[in-house]
Amino acid sequence: MDALTAVDRASSAGALPTRPITILVAALGGEGGGVLAEWLVASATDQGFPVQSTSIPGVAQRTGATTYYLEIYPAAWERLGQRAPVLALTPSPGNIDVMIASELLEAGRALQSGYVSPDRTTLVASSHRIYAIAEKSAMSDGRFDTSKLMETARVLARRLVLFDMARLAREAGTVINAVMFGALVGSGALPMSRQACEEAIRRSGKGAEASLRGFEAGYRHAQGDDVPAPQQADDRTRSRPVDRVRSQFPSETHKILEEGVARLADYQDEAYAQLYLDRLAPVLSAERDGGGGATGYRLTTETGRHLALWMSYEDVIRVADLKTRPERFARVRNEVRARPGEPVIVTEFLKPGIEELCAILPPSLARPLLAWAARRGRSYSIGMHVRTSTVTGYLLMRLLARMTGLRRKSSRFHDEQALIERWLVAVKAAAAESIDLALEIAECARLIKGYGDTHRRGTTNFLNIFDALIGPAAGRPAGRAAAIARARQAALADPEGKSLAEALPRPAGSA
Amino acid sequence: MERSFAAEVESLKLGDGQVFHGEGILAVTKALLQSGVSYVGGYQGAPVSHMMDVLNDAREIMDRLGIHVETNASEAGAAAMLGASINYPLRGAVTWKSTVGTNVASDALSNLASAGVKGGTLIVIGEDYGEGASIIQERSHAFAMKSQIWLLDPRPNLPTIVRMVEQGFELSEASQSPVMLELRIRACHVHGSFLAKDNRAARFSRQNLLNDPDFDAGRICLPPSTYAQEKHKVEVRWPAAIEFIRRNRLNEHFPGTSDDVGIIVQGGMYNVALRALQQLGLADAFGQSVIPIYVLNVTYPLIPDEVSQFCAGKRRVLVVEEGQPNYIEEAVHAILRRADVQTRVHGKDMLPMAGEYTGEVVLTGVAKYIEAAAPKGVDTAAAHTAFEKLMTPKRRAAELLGSPVPTRAPGFCIGCPERPVFSAMKLVEREVGRLHVSCDIGCHTFSTLPPFSIGNTVLGYGLGLASNTAVNPMFGRRTLTVMGDGGFWHNGLTSGIANAVFNRNDGILVIMKNGYTSATGTQTIPSSVHQSEGKSTDMSIEKALSGIGVKWVKSVYTYRVGEMVRTLKDALTSSYNGLKVIIADAECQLERQRRLRPLIAKQLAAGERVVRTRFGVDDEVCTGDHSCIRLSGCPSLTIKPNPDPLRTDPVATVDQGCVGCGLCGEVAHAAVLCPSFYRADIVQNPRIWDRWLDSLRRAVIGWLQGSPAWTR
Repeated sequence: MDALTAVDRASSAGALPTRPITILVAALGGEGGGVLAEWLVASATDQGFPVQSTSIPGVAQRTGATTYYLEIYPAAWERLGQRAPVLALTPSPGNIDVMIASELLEAGRALQSGYVSPDRTTLVASSHRIYAIAEKSAMSDGRFDTSKLMETARVLARRLVLFDMARLAREAGTVINAVMFGALVGSGALPMSRQACEEAIRRSGKGAEASLRGFEAGYRHAQGDDVPAPQQADDRTRSRPVDRVRSQFPSETHKILEEGVARLADYQDEAYAQLYLDRLAPVLSAERDGGGGATGYRLTTETGRHLALWMSYEDVIRVADLKTRPERFARVRNEVRARPGEPVIVTEFLKPGIEELCAILPPSLARPLLAWAARRGRSYSIGMHVRTSTVTGYLLMRLLARMTGLRRKSSRFHDEQALIERWLVAVKAAAAESIDLALEIAECARLIKGYGDTHRRGTTNFLNIFDALIGPAAGRPAGRAAAIARARQAALADPEGKSLAEALPRPAGSA
Repeated sequence: MERSFAAEVESLKLGDGQVFHGEGILAVTKALLQSGVSYVGGYQGAPVSHMMDVLNDAREIMDRLGIHVETNASEAGAAAMLGASINYPLRGAVTWKSTVGTNVASDALSNLASAGVKGGTLIVIGEDYGEGASIIQERSHAFAMKSQIWLLDPRPNLPTIVRMVEQGFELSEASQSPVMLELRIRACHVHGSFLAKDNRAARFSRQNLLNDPDFDAGRICLPPSTYAQEKHKVEVRWPAAIEFIRRNRLNEHFPGTSDDVGIIVQGGMYNVALRALQQLGLADAFGQSVIPIYVLNVTYPLIPDEVSQFCAGKRRVLVVEEGQPNYIEEAVHAILRRADVQTRVHGKDMLPMAGEYTGEVVLTGVAKYIEAAAPKGVDTAAAHTAFEKLMTPKRRAAELLGSPVPTRAPGFCIGCPERPVFSAMKLVEREVGRLHVSCDIGCHTFSTLPPFSIGNTVLGYGLGLASNTAVNPMFGRRTLTVMGDGGFWHNGLTSGIANAVFNRNDGILVIMKNGYTSATGTQTIPSSVHQSEGKSTDMSIEKALSGIGVKWVKSVYTYRVGEMVRTLKDALTSSYNGLKVIIADAECQLERQRRLRPLIAKQLAAGERVVRTRFGVDDEVCTGDHSCIRLSGCPSLTIKPNPDPLRTDPVATVDQGCVGCGLCGEVAHAAVLCPSFYRADIVQNPRIWDRWLDSLRRAVIGWLQGSPAWTR
């Protein structure tokens, strides 16, 4: 028996409902879950239903996950005489009629706790993600698999109402709780009338108009009246068809390789982009020989992905270039929600150090300077606040951006190309043995990224793995591939390198 | 204060026959007024922080009734205030978070309970246990037993809670003993209704003053009176309490048809136990249960006759008692043994010894009991099937999800001024290695959680520095202590700082001066800049430190990460031998925003020029390592899918919650992290000059961007 039939039966046959309707609200601190609970209480009270709500705010209000639990007995007090229903203060598994979550992972938490059951639960949830700290702070990609959350919700909910409520709230200029309330009422799982619910919002005063807009949007959406187009993914593909890629490489690789060619032509020049393809050609033939066609040329594609990124490493020239492009200013205005006519002053936080300087100097100058700095035992850097929205700030950055001519002779270029060659040789050599092994070696390039300490740490990890597992080509390919994959994951497990040290056959680094 | 109760306090004025709607803790306050209290006080802490807020917001009503309201400096102060009821027929009530508050209060409580009271005294304790709790998990029950304070644990509905407050005062006076009213977290926040009565003015109050001081040597806690007091406790007060509880039927007995079994339940556990029975098909929505239930609205003392009468003729009873040790279950065993009643007693063999008794836990335990006890007339197989069906979705979800979803612990708010201090500590640790950090109680304790994971111990409120006293001398390098300004005034000034100066401690103390007890709901403290009326305004941490003889004091604006790093290193290496105090100074962002938002909205509406600051990340420059997040953990600094088709790792992004505190930029600078961050100052309602300059800049830059010489 579901909530609605309970009400219907009560009103038609005169018998009292056998149990209260139970509602669990999962929200994060600051999303107005408490106010939503108050609206629910007010609207139920307005209709004369016995209602009770509880919460555990406490420190969870400080950005943590929290819940509000309500029970509504869907028959008016006057029908109960002297009796009062006994309402519970804590939710129980298998005993929830309406589960509403302000965010997808919180819906997952509710599912995990058994609060969504196929025989009775209407699950109303927002599909957007607010990442937990463990997901955010991972050194690569720590996000929980949302497809699993969606799938579990689909299997376990009696009825599922799932859409991006945060977006609707933003568009309505209100807080997510109003959209949640609208979606709850729109789902038809509550015994209260829409009027009573809107009245509850109106009576709560402050910001009622905006809340009502959000309510309306959530309501319509849950009713299926208003299904907006899915938001377009922010894809910055800039590539254009490249003849050489089209003629010499298989179609599965085109998307990435053409992006790579475009990236490198933009980064340096056409010749540099051609070098990119020159470097990839032998990888492709090695993969062909190894029968890589059957698996969609993954080795060439992935090597192509990492090679393009590595060859377009971020030096001050690149950063200055990216920060002074016309489309960047438009993006900043959009991101900070500046209205037309509002001036925006953009300040960059740059702290170029002796290493960044040496990176664009020729090796003959850079080496002695770095050695001198190492002897002094400290790093030198200048903290700069550059305002790229001013003419002088823009010119300063543009001057830097125009130094691409220096790049080819710079020490960093020299070092990176040498390491790239070393990596490519290893990939090609491994491909002759096993495509899977070569793929694992190719993937190691993802460790090298970032700036300053981050870049140094990544490179050190890469070299440690290289020296321990890739250089000494002993053992069966499958075992070696697995060991490399493990080490790579360990390198991304913690910034201190503890996991990596444990994953490698001998101590990492030689301090 | 985080939340205003200005609207809610209106319901405190309700009179006879009117229906009160509201939160549990507000209902308790109304019940105090209906009971004719002369004075109230307490110390804030979830889940009873709201009660302190309500008392302060209801000053007008309190004044009219002549009630004295005190914001006590600590729970010890609040308990000592109850001393007013020792000599005089004054009803008084105080509140705090338990068990921590009861720990702090216990010196005064012991003395109060020994002396005994003339006026009814009620201690409203928010039992911070289980989900949502922020403290060590213990029971307040032990305090009641050791000091002989009666412990009320009402069924968690407003009519019962209100009745227990009113009868609690009567019980206190009838037995000359203090009474505790225990409310669990959810009961404090339960929203319900009850039929109100008129408020009552006390016999003596600020409106109707006392004249003659009372002296009674028997009320002094000093031998020989203390010996007499102990005897009085057991010979007079205890029997009087038992008699009162029995006569007024404070405990409740709900009969059932399967009278060969029964459940004895703490009042606060009644609803969850009944729901379990209902789910198993053994009770209806109105509390009509097949299984007889004996509800202990008073969990200490037990009434032996009532217990043995309930159990007589039953084969097995189940005691539903949350927390450990299982005092009640043991006591029931002893009572039945003495009365020679042969009923088998279940409790912690069916239910877990430790942890909150949630819906799931109690359902599981009751289902197990029903199966074992096989009550007459009950189809145990049907109950078992019902139970299995309820638990199936949880098992299915675990299979489908594959791995547990990530936890979401509380943390520092967006733009919190305490976050930069820990960013600075992390940077210092990078240079000098890991440091021992003694923590304290407050929002800053979040530093012990990811991404900071800074802090080695937490010993109690205001006790951070005291807990460091034997650590510092054992290390070659100096160690750190963190204390909030709330903890400073609660206990830290004496137990920590005076003690450290006195003993020539050489450690480093960082005081988080954000102006409020922020973790409990931003109540004001003596050094708060913005004080409500009726509070003294000229109390400063700096003056207190100087007065107590601290010579090395440096104040740093917390958002200046570089300066904080230098100051910390300075303190670590300084040749000065003695306590070094760094005051990390910046107002709680919650309160700051609460003040600023309406102000800015007004300025904007009036067409005034307002500069809004936001931070952002250039996603083309960000490489997705997330070091910035590991050094900050700001909720508004998050990740998003990488728009770059070549990259797969998500990039950092700053969401719309950003309040422009500036930490992102500071950390990127101080840590030499990466150049992805930018600050955007958006000029709202720009003046002519702003517009002119902006169009000039855009024109020149636009021309440059269009000119091939400058683009490539």
